[in-house]
Order: sequence, then C-alpha cells, then structure tokens
Amino acid sequence: MHHFATTLRDDNRDSQDMDNMPDFGDHVDDQIFSQILEMDEDQTDRDFSAPLVFGFFEQAHETFEKMQDALSANDLSTLSGLGHFLKGSAATLGFNKIRDSCQVIQQYGHKLNVDGTSEPDEAVCLKKIAEALKTAQVDTTELEKMMTGYFKKPE
Amino acid sequence: MPPADGDAGTAQAGNNSSDFVRKLYKMLEDPSYNSVVRWSNDGDSFVVLENEKFTKTILPKHFKHSNFASFVRQLNKYDFHKVRHNDENGDSGYGRDAWEFRHPEFRADRKDNLDNIRRKAPAPRKPPPAEDAFPASQQIIVMSESLTATQHQIQALQDQYSELEKTNKLLVSEVLSLQKMVRAQSQASNELITHLNNMEDRRRNSRHSAHSSHSGQVQSGGMAFLPDGADEPAPELRRAREILNGVSPDVQADRELERLSMAYNQNGSPADSAGSSVMFAQPGPGGMPLVHDPLNDPRNLVYPVGQTTGIDPFHADHIHNIPYSRPLSNPSIQAEAPSQITPPIKEQQLGSMWRGKKPHILLVEDDKTCARIGAKFLTLVDCSVDIARDGLEAVEKVNRDAERFDLIFMDIIMPNLDGVSATAMIRMVTPQVPVVAMTSNIRQEDIQTYFQFGMNDVLAKPFTRDGMVRILRKHLTRMLKDPQAPSLVPDEIGQSGVAGAGPGPPTATNQGYVPASTMTMANLAAAGNPQVKFEHTPIQSPSTASSWHSPGQMHQAAPNLDSGGYMGAVGSGPGGLVMTPGGTQRPPPQPQPGQYANYMTAQQVAGTQAMGRLAEMSQIGGLTGGDDRPEKRQRLYGPGPGQGSYVQ
Repeated sequence: MHHFATTLRDDNRDSQDMDNMPDFGDHVDDQIFSQILEMDEDQTDRDFSAPLVFGFFEQAHETFEKMQDALSANDLSTLSGLGHFLKGSAATLGFNKIRDSCQVIQQYGHKLNVDGTSEPDEAVCLKKIAEALKTAQVDTTELEKMMTGYFKKPE
Repeated sequence: MPPADGDAGTAQAGNNSSDFVRKLYKMLEDPSYNSVVRWSNDGDSFVVLENEKFTKTILPKHFKHSNFASFVRQLNKYDFHKVRHNDENGDSGYGRDAWEFRHPEFRADRKDNLDNIRRKAPAPRKPPPAEDAFPASQQIIVMSESLTATQHQIQALQDQYSELEKTNKLLVSEVLSLQKMVRAQSQASNELITHLNNMEDRRRNSRHSAHSSHSGQVQSGGMAFLPDGADEPAPELRRAREILNGVSPDVQADRELERLSMAYNQNGSPADSAGSSVMFAQPGPGGMPLVHDPLNDPRNLVYPVGQTTGIDPFHADHIHNIPYSRPLSNPSIQAEAPSQITPPIKEQQLGSMWRGKKPHILLVEDDKTCARIGAKFLTLVDCSVDIARDGLEAVEKVNRDAERFDLIFMDIIMPNLDGVSATAMIRMVTPQVPVVAMTSNIRQEDIQTYFQFGMNDVLAKPFTRDGMVRILRKHLTRMLKDPQAPSLVPDEIGQSGVAGAGPGPPTATNQGYVPASTMTMANLAAAGNPQVKFEHTPIQSPSTASSWHSPGQMHQAAPNLDSGGYMGAVGSGPGGLVMTPGGTQRPPPQPQPGQYANYMTAQQVAGTQAMGRLAEMSQIGGLTGGDDRPEKRQRLYGPGPGQGSYVQ
C-alpha cells in the first residue's frame, strides 16, 4: 500500500511542493493544498498562498465569533449560513477537518442530521452545532500553528 | 350658326315631320293674321308683328296655349333662330317689337320641305349640336385611355400576385423542408441520447458492480461507496431529452401549412405533395414521428446523420459551438479543425491558450478565499477577472456592460442575492454568456434548478484549476488558440478506464486531461456532460492520494457513517466530489431550505426518483463499503494495474 502511494507520487508529482510539504495529517487535503502552493510564483516567497492561508484563519476566527453569537441567540439559520460560508473557503484550501465541522454546523442549522435526515429537535441541533464549533476551533488553532511553522520555513 | 344638323335631318328624311312645324306653316297660311304674324317679305322667315295679340289670340287657336316664351322655346327646339335687326339694315321695317324667326328649310314656297325641319337632339344643356359631337368623341378617348390604364394596373397586380404566390409557395415548401429537417434532427438527437444513456448505463453498471464487489472501508473518504454523479443520468442528457420532448409542433399551423402545400401542389409538382403529406401524417405534439425519409435525404440535413458520415453532431466541437453564437473577434478560429490527437499540455503552457483577446471572466463569489483562489486560477490561464462579491454586484456589473464578460462563474449561496436569482436577472440582459454555477450543492435537483434558471454548467466546489480550465475550454472553445476538443489520446484510453473507475492518478499536469480522455472514451458522453460528470474523476484521485499518504487518518476523519456521509460527498477531493455531495447519501430526498428554496419545489418532485435510486446505491455502497482502498480498486479496475498505468 505504502509502496504504491510512493510510486504514484514519484511518477506523477513533478511538483516539489508535495514532497516538501510537511504532513498536515488529516487537517489538509494535500492534493488541493499543493495546488494552492503551486500558484506561488516564488516558491520561497509564497506571496500568494501565505496571505491566502492566513486570510483564511482570520476569516475563520471572525466566523467562529459570529457563530458563537448566533448560537447564544439560538439562530439556526444564521448558523447554517455561516457554516456554509466557511465550509467553502476551507474546502477550497483543502482544510478538510474544518470543512467537515462546518458541514455539520450547516446541516444542523438546517435541522438536518449529517446524513440528511430531519432533526426536528432544535436543542439537539444547537448542541451538535456547539460541539462542531468547538471542534472546528480546536482544529483551526492546531492547523494555524502548523501553517505558521510551514510558511516561516518554506524549505 | 351653320346648321350642321341639316345633313343628318335630310338623310333621315321621313314622313314624320313635326306637328309643330305644320301648325306653324298652316298658321302663316291664314291671311287674316297678316297684321299680327306673317311670312317675311322674302318668304324665308316669318315675323310676329304684334306680340301681345299673337300671344292672346293666335297661339291659343293654333298651339293651345298663350305663352309666347313657350312658343319661342319650341321654335328653338326646331332650330329656328331669331333674326336680329340692325339699325343699318333695311329689314327693320317690321317694327320695334317685331320678332322675326328663320330656319333655312322653313320657307313660304317650300311647304314640301317641312319634313326636313326636325326637332334637335334632346341635348338641352348643349345648345349647338356641333359643339356636342366633339366632347363625346373626346370622352370616348378618355374612357378608353382610362380603360387601358386600368387594364395595365390589373395586369401589374396579376404579375405581383403570381410573384407573391410563387414566393409563398417557396416559403411553404421551405418551411416544410425545415420541419422535416428539425424532426430529423430531433430524432437523431433522441437516438444519440438513447445511445449515450445506454453507454452510461453500461459504464455505470460496470462501476457499480465493481464497487459493490469489494465494498470498502469508510476510510477512503467514502469515495467508493458514494453513488457519485454517475448514478444519475447525465443531467445534460436528461435536459436535452426534456428540451426535445418539450418542443411541441403547432398542430394548427401545421394543418394550415399542409393545406397550403396541398393547394400549391395541385398546381405544381405532385411529387412534393407526397413527401409533405407524409410529414403531416404525424404532427402529434411531442411525438417524434419516425420519418426516415429526411434522414436519408442529405439535402435536408445540416449535419448529415448516419453511421457513414463520420460527423458526430454531438461532438463537443459542434455542441459547444451551438449555444453561444456570439460573434467572435477571431471568426477564423472556427475554421480551424480541431486536432484529434493532441497530447495533454501542461497547464503552465496554457498561459497562452487564447487566440485573440483574453477572455474576460466574471467571478461571483462571496467568499474571499474562494474568490482569490479562483481569480488566481483564472489569471494563471491568462484570463482577466472581475470579482463580484454577491449576486447583486454581479447583476450590476453585467448591467453596466452586457457584452463585457465572456463567461461568468457564479457562486450559488451568497448574501443579498443568490446566484440562481442573479443568473435569472442576468439572463434578461444577456442571454448568451455562459454562466457556470460554482457550488457544492450539486445534487441532481439542485443542478436542474441551476439549468432551469439559465445556468449552463456546474463547477463543483471546491473547484480546481483543472476544473476551471475545463470549463473555459468547453465554453470558450472559439476563443481558444488550439480548440482541441477534449481529445482522444490513444495512450490514455486504457488509463482512462482507471480514471473513470476510481482513483485517478492526478498529477498536476494530467489531472485535467485524464477526465477529458475519459470523456472521449465514454464516447459521446463527452458532449453531453463534461463537467459534472467527469469532474469526479480528478476528485476521486486527490482524496485517494491523500489517503495513500496517511491511510489511517481518513479513518479518523470519518469514523462513523454519520460524518462519513459528508466525507464522501464533499470530502476527499477537489473537483471530483462534485457529483457526490453529501446529499446523495440521504435516503429520502430532503428539501434543503435554502435561499432559493422556493425555486426547488418543481425539481424536488423530479429529483425524488433519482434520490431514491441514490439512496439505494448509497446503502449498498455505504453499508458494505469497507474495503475500498485505492490500491485495491486500482488492482480491480485498472486495465493495467500498477504504477505504469499512471504514467502518461
């Protein structure tokens, strides 16, 4: 299994980004994120991807605050909208864990379970959202630390 | 005062001289009247000497009235004329009040000549007969002239009419042949769609059977058990069919046309009428008459239809050129034959993929991150990009200059105005610009909604550069320097099977093209459904790629089916997940309250069935899918399993 994956990379990944990229674990979809990195014209400078990534974290923190407010106001529909919003950014960057938490928030904001079935109990929805939000915040903090490390020492 | 009338009078001399003249002569024969009325001295005229006495005594006796004026009028009618008396004349000897009347034929010595004195023709208003004759003949000339003119007019009208008739006939037959053509096209399209559906079914079945044969672990992002987009008939196919079926001929108009054609053909070529009556035999709305004739009549077809022609009207080159007939700055592009065998080009080389001016893209996206990445992707392929932060801004930008943008990428869920509504509004201004939905809401009914409101395509979020490039190539074909269709690269055929089946080995460079070749391998499917359908290919690969890196991690990410549903959908990959949004795993179709939820009611009905199927699929795949690691799939699906197959 491992052998195969390695071979695949060697044969097809001519971009050094992938190889040089630290393992962000399940936080990050390497494939997507490496595409972002590839767009940097200067691989040491990273003047495209770095602001993008840190812009995301800024956006994420703002969104989490708004989510917190909406949570205390029991405003499910706002929560759903915020979840959707941040999910898009996270997915685009390949930040999978954050994306998934956002999906959970979006779903329960619509009073739906993640599998799409209806969850009529608002209290349950709010509780699930609160959990997901906490997870997202933890993941974000963790990832931000990793990213900060990565962008400070690009090679 | 010459009595021209005399000739006519003598010519017709008969015995019917007037009583009046005879009475007049007889009266003058009576010598007792001599003091009152008598012949003149010369006997060629008569004189009324005593007007008053004459009127009171003689007129009543001879003419039964006592009205001198009437008498004079009568005389005038018989062409008697009053003789004027000049002072110089010696004739004035009859006295001041004497009236002398003369008629050339009325003489005292010519009693036999009385018959020649006739009443003038009854033309009271035209006193002298000589003056009357001339206008009459002139009148005839005038009348005959106007008659001639009228005849000319009629002639001209007849010419015009026959010209119109000819034209009309031509038009009717033209309409008829167009009808034939359209029906032939429809039928051909239907055949193609059926063919495509069959192809797809086959492909899908093979995939699913393969999937279910080794259902996998949840870990690989749920990719394997996800009933991805392929579970649905390609939305384009479905749509195409709907469009075809939705066009119902106007039966009334057809009848009328038929009648016209019959009428014309009675005078004209009966051969035609045979043909057209065949056409009219089945004008049923919606029904596609199986008229084989037009199919075999190449004259009637724009694109020859048939196995032997070698031209596939559904080929991407044609298809993509149809809807957007916007005039191009470089029309010559169209003439350039797409090269069928062109090896994939590295994206980096695509910087100059445009022939003439750079495409101007409007990117409508409320999310800063997405917008920046999208804009970056686009500028990397040499497009100029405008960003709108919501639907309202997009509509404003388009309103400002409808021709400005060559393509619009449109997020769906945005503040102020959602993408679907914005598209509907943009469509009012510019019906042609391709609008591509960018969204993760890519369930079947969502997509139908997008299409219904005027969107042309869907780019799944999170989007990839390749997904975007593919969209650009598809919709801006005519701006391409090298308008190669998603090309069929022989070497890739085998591999594309792999790509289609499961984990595609996406490298930065080939990622975009693997699906392309898949498309061609899937044959015409390319035409129908490039983006949505094949988007999953590259998508799957990244996710699998990441799971290869850290196989265990995916497990953690999706430890239970609960979250797995989403993982499968949105999860693992860039573009690929497209058709397999989390929604597909929901067993019952759940209306998702959204900004445009009101739009969706109709679709939901349509989507229900599809969703049911999806649910089934996902159960099969999801519950059993434990062993879906990419390597395994690779072995199973890959025609040439192993690393080699990934090498371009």
